[in-house]
Amino acid sequence: MRIMLDKKFVDKVLAYGREKGLKDMELYYSDSEELTMKVFDGEIDNYSVSKSGGVSFRTHYAEKMGYAYTEKLDDFSVQFLVDNAMDNALIIDSDDEERIFEGAGEYKTRDNKIDLEDRSTQEDKIQGMLEMESMAKNMDSRIQKVQYCVYGELIVKSKIVNSKGLDLCHQANLAYTYLGVVAKEGEEIKTGMSYRVGEKFTDLDTKAIAKEAVEEAIAMLGASSVKSGDYPVIIKNNAAADLLEAFSSVFSAENVQKDLSLLKGKIGDKIAVDDLNIIDDPHMEKGFSTRFFDDEGFPTKRNEIVKDGILKTYMHNLKTAKKSGIESTGHASRGSYKSSIGISPTNFYFEPGKLNLDQMIMEMSKGLVIIDLQGLHSGLNPVSGDFSLSCYGYYVEEGKIVKPVNQITVSGNFFQLLKNIERIGSDLKFTLPSNAYIGSPSIWIQNLSIAGE
Amino acid sequence: MLSKTTIERVLTAALSTGGDFAEVFVEDKTNTGISLVGGVIENTVSGRDYGVGIRVFNAFFSVYAYTNTATEESLIETAKMAAAAIRNNKKLQISALHHVSIPNKINPISIFPETVDKRRKVDVLRQAYQAADTYDEIITQVTASYMDSTQQILIANSEGLMKEDKRVKSRLAVQAVASKKGEMQSGYFGPGSGQGFEFFENLDIDYYGRESARIAKSMMLAPYSPSGKMTVVIDNGFGGVIFHEACGHGLEATSVAKGNSIFADKIGQQVASKLVTAIDDGTIKNGWGSANIDDEGNETTRNVLIENGILRNYMVDKLNGRRMQMDVTGSSRRQSYRFAPTSRMTNTFIDNGTMTPNEIIANTEKGLYAKYMGGGSVNPATGEFNFAVMEGYKIENGKITTPVRGATLIGTGIDVLQKIDMVGNNLSLGQGMCGSLSGSIPANVGQPMIRVSEITVGGREGENNA
Repeated sequence: MRIMLDKKFVDKVLAYGREKGLKDMELYYSDSEELTMKVFDGEIDNYSVSKSGGVSFRTHYAEKMGYAYTEKLDDFSVQFLVDNAMDNALIIDSDDEERIFEGAGEYKTRDNKIDLEDRSTQEDKIQGMLEMESMAKNMDSRIQKVQYCVYGELIVKSKIVNSKGLDLCHQANLAYTYLGVVAKEGEEIKTGMSYRVGEKFTDLDTKAIAKEAVEEAIAMLGASSVKSGDYPVIIKNNAAADLLEAFSSVFSAENVQKDLSLLKGKIGDKIAVDDLNIIDDPHMEKGFSTRFFDDEGFPTKRNEIVKDGILKTYMHNLKTAKKSGIESTGHASRGSYKSSIGISPTNFYFEPGKLNLDQMIMEMSKGLVIIDLQGLHSGLNPVSGDFSLSCYGYYVEEGKIVKPVNQITVSGNFFQLLKNIERIGSDLKFTLPSNAYIGSPSIWIQNLSIAGE
Repeated sequence: MLSKTTIERVLTAALSTGGDFAEVFVEDKTNTGISLVGGVIENTVSGRDYGVGIRVFNAFFSVYAYTNTATEESLIETAKMAAAAIRNNKKLQISALHHVSIPNKINPISIFPETVDKRRKVDVLRQAYQAADTYDEIITQVTASYMDSTQQILIANSEGLMKEDKRVKSRLAVQAVASKKGEMQSGYFGPGSGQGFEFFENLDIDYYGRESARIAKSMMLAPYSPSGKMTVVIDNGFGGVIFHEACGHGLEATSVAKGNSIFADKIGQQVASKLVTAIDDGTIKNGWGSANIDDEGNETTRNVLIENGILRNYMVDKLNGRRMQMDVTGSSRRQSYRFAPTSRMTNTFIDNGTMTPNEIIANTEKGLYAKYMGGGSVNPATGEFNFAVMEGYKIENGKITTPVRGATLIGTGIDVLQKIDMVGNNLSLGQGMCGSLSGSIPANVGQPMIRVSEITVGGREGENNA
């Protein structure tokens, strides 16, 4: 695996650091090669390519960990990294012990039989996108236009090398596409979108995306509000995954130790219904966050965060684990080389149950299906667990979808919601990956508060 | 940052396949971030961001490429990679670059952050922490963060433009958490500016610390908000997020040019209540969203978007301006060299009206008073928006009464603009980070107190039957 980090630069930094009296030092490097294409009106109208990376330096100095990063690997940066990291270590006054990891000998590696190679050409991809756009546009006369149609792929490589002899490399490939359409009937405008994520272009089912986006927009035409009140609610897989993602930080030991999570002191307690399992599986096949060591170089393993409704563990890195007197769970994470070590889930999901979405709807006598939640960055509070979110979906009566619903909000509390799950679907779906890869099946909640008319 | 001859060679390579416009953006940015949790400095990172973005147009088609290997060889390779996406027979020559140095009229800096000892930056955090932590026993956690950055940029294009600028931003953010009986609520304040360290020297740090604690306490003790359609009074400052989300994004050329906005083709039409005049002003001195030039090298402007309810202009960047056949408005922005710039808001606000805040409350029989807003989002195609009320109160018989928590406001842009029936005279601005196509950028929102005659409030309690 080709890595752009120049060995000479590494040696210069370590040499300059030793000159300054430093012993424990680490460089974390990552770079990405990216391509995105946007289609508008039958033509590629935007195309973007990039190669970029950067390096983070951290050192244990005066009992604390100091960090600095740079995107320019020149002689000025050698001093910039070391001097700033030392300077930064001096102002840290947390007593939590963060250390540089010496490595764990053997690491698991990815099954070589999995085919990562992208055999499709640039032309194939352009053609595929143009077809997806035109398919969406022509599927229904009420589709006024395709609002956006985007394909992207990236290869992210990272490397950890430290003065204790650790030297590890990691690579992740991602291909994604998303499409948004606008449907118009009379004066009414509705939108629909869909996406897919894979490791290469051919993993993406463009036909299904076009169909799903169009169906969603068309289905929402004629939507109206409902009377305010408490309703049984099925939150569709993608929306439930968004919700879980927004609250995933409550399982971080860092937030627990800093009094920012209501799960503090709840290990071994029942925090959810019996049927609920929350899994974090860094070894999952085709998971965007699949990795065999975390960003401190600690080996990862599959964790059951919640098992049969009982909270089994928080997510730890070396620092939080040491503070709790246990072993790291392999969740050390940097958002990028620009950040220091924090905690993040890997491939993290509600374990699916038995019923598909249609079967769940059939069992519902009266309630709502929510297919999209909006304003997740503002309308919820991970500290309190409260959420109040704009959403849309369908109204269900006697096991049948009766009408589309919009201009409503759904409100509740995440911690109460976990104890109020009536059914867990079988249709596990993951979000577009950010730092972590988070998934959920559709889930049926006994009661949530809906504000409408 | 890069020599004129290097840039000229890069621009020539970018146009080698027939593009009709090429641009080079060079960024060298140093920044410091320090965070405090519970009185303890937990984390600090210093960094240097460096990279070059190359943009090529062929009519409405645009290509963007970036790299952070800035040797001439690598830049020419990157320019050719971008150019490869264009195939056009006619070849355009670049114009000779004409370097213009621009006076720093809009964001003059007294104390550059890199000249300040980090211990003084830490003191800012400790002071904010003290103020919040000692406010009340109910406050169980305080986190605070300090941020400064100095961004040097160079912009050059095939039309001969070559400009350099230096931009400094400073910000403090404080979050206080109140807890009681296994429940938590939080309050937040994040003042920022286009100034250097003088911003913190002149800032009433205690006030922001106390205020975030006061919000957390008042929400901790509050019952859940009533829900349903009601009259809502939104106070000044960050309350302007309503205009930002509900209308501002729909006035960006990014969504107008392709007809994705409800405001497309509506110039000259009444789109808001006559009481509403709204402005995007990138020239406010040391404003959080201000700059001498935008990220295409155009001078920033004071752009009246809506005047007495009538739509006057959009925010327009070069590429979308081509599609719309409109002039640029100096508000093309990007987070960094990693993003192609596009039309974005700078400092966007509803202008002052004539009523006093007291008159507005006194004239409201029943409703919700949103003292501080949280963030929100919008679907520009439908204009449907949502945002969170951070600190809310009931209004009963012309008086602000009990606090309520967890309210959300939802509606559509044009509808809410037309339902603004009172506008106060206490205009102020609030700072936020706005995320969109060209990344996350500092933007001011703002307004005086306004009243919306009817809007849907989401909350966990039933109708407001007080």
